[in-house]
Amino acid sequence: MNETEFEKQLLAIAKGMEYPRTPDIAGSVTARLRSSTRLSLRTRPLAWSLTILLILLSSLMLIPPARAAILEFIQIGIVRIFPGPAQAPATATLEPLAPTTATPSSQPSTLLTTFLNQIAGETKLANAQEIAGYPILLPSYPPEMGLPNHVYVQDANGPMTILVWVDAQQPERVTLSLHFTPEGSWAIEKFQPAVIQEAEVNGQRAIWAEGPYPLRLSNGNMEFVRLIDGHVLIWEEGGITYRLETDMSLEEAVKIAESLQPIP
Amino acid sequence: MEPHPIKRCITNERNLSGEAQLEESTLIRRAANGDTTAWEPLMLAHQQAVFRLSYLLLGDPDDAEDVAQETFLRAWKHLRRFDLTRPFRPWLLSIASNLASNRRRSAGRYLAALTRAFRNEPASAGIEEKSVQHMEGNELWQAVKNLEFTDQQIIYLRYFLELPVHEAAEVLQVAEGTVKSRLNRALEKLRKIIQEGFPLLSEGREA
Repeated sequence: MNETEFEKQLLAIAKGMEYPRTPDIAGSVTARLRSSTRLSLRTRPLAWSLTILLILLSSLMLIPPARAAILEFIQIGIVRIFPGPAQAPATATLEPLAPTTATPSSQPSTLLTTFLNQIAGETKLANAQEIAGYPILLPSYPPEMGLPNHVYVQDANGPMTILVWVDAQQPERVTLSLHFTPEGSWAIEKFQPAVIQEAEVNGQRAIWAEGPYPLRLSNGNMEFVRLIDGHVLIWEEGGITYRLETDMSLEEAVKIAESLQPIP
Repeated sequence: MEPHPIKRCITNERNLSGEAQLEESTLIRRAANGDTTAWEPLMLAHQQAVFRLSYLLLGDPDDAEDVAQETFLRAWKHLRRFDLTRPFRPWLLSIASNLASNRRRSAGRYLAALTRAFRNEPASAGIEEKSVQHMEGNELWQAVKNLEFTDQQIIYLRYFLELPVHEAAEVLQVAEGTVKSRLNRALEKLRKIIQEGFPLLSEGREA
């Protein structure tokens, strides 16, 4: 088969490619442009309004009950969790600690292996430890966990380390990922998770959140918003925010978190 | 529904008549002066190509939609810099391609994909019911994903979006000769990948 025939075949096969329906991008962009045009027309009055509002808010923040009403989010390390609109102060709405079983993934993403291999910043564990500048910890529970299958260090306004363990029997299935994010990195915000529970890791306050919830990552210049269905245990220690994502239960997640040890 | 008359004029770019080209450049000029009503038909005409290229490069419809929207917002912002003597679609695809390249290696996308892996998502809808043609198309896409990003770009532009060489050159901002040589190299690699890892695709076509 010569090159031309091969190209003809590619063209013919590629015609069969099944794409998702094209969304109404023109409509969305037009709406965004029109709203920003309206906004810019009002910029000057708005600037004054914002200044006044900021002064008012600053004054209100000095009054404890008002501050409690305004700051309706839970902050743990760099992560902020907004339990929901028009609620009482967040800490008062938390459920008591109770075992919760996460839904295991029975249909892992088929693209995951390819995806994991394409992510920026993949490196070896020893190298990650050198770059990170803080101790990378590994779980000693469960004993069969072993070393992570993938290690990444990415610049998120600070070296963010991500360790990923995949299922030995189903490499397309992630069983655990552990994120180390130093202070000053990207802000991570979650909105109205389905479940938020107080928990403890080594006697320190921790939060367990279950999806679905929108997750926003931002660093002032960039922002990503995604709907997340995962379960995550978050705690902070020594200026590092730890996020442990797993399909295991909260009890298991806490056991894993409490078993973290420096790299031998 | 009857297509928008302006859209109908500019949809099939490769067969643009002088009148249609004039129509598109007039719309671009008006849009560059802040006329959103002129920008909308231009987006309608090109949104499918922009979305599809983004989807091919990113493999996720949500990401593709984000990138497509961002493409049109960036293009709108820089319309005054657009050279009206050049074709418009490659310029848009070039922006989309750059944005997709940045997006696919971003931390945010990584986290999103990773957490999606925990989801209890149903398998791709009725794969056994898909036609052979669809299955082959998707299989080819999986094969192309094994190539380096720059090779993927050129294959998608040339064979999936069916851009002529000169337009692919505009998108990639290289000479036509460079497109041809890069295409040859990419095809050679793809042929090997198909032969070694996609026997069904290979056999189906050899038969």
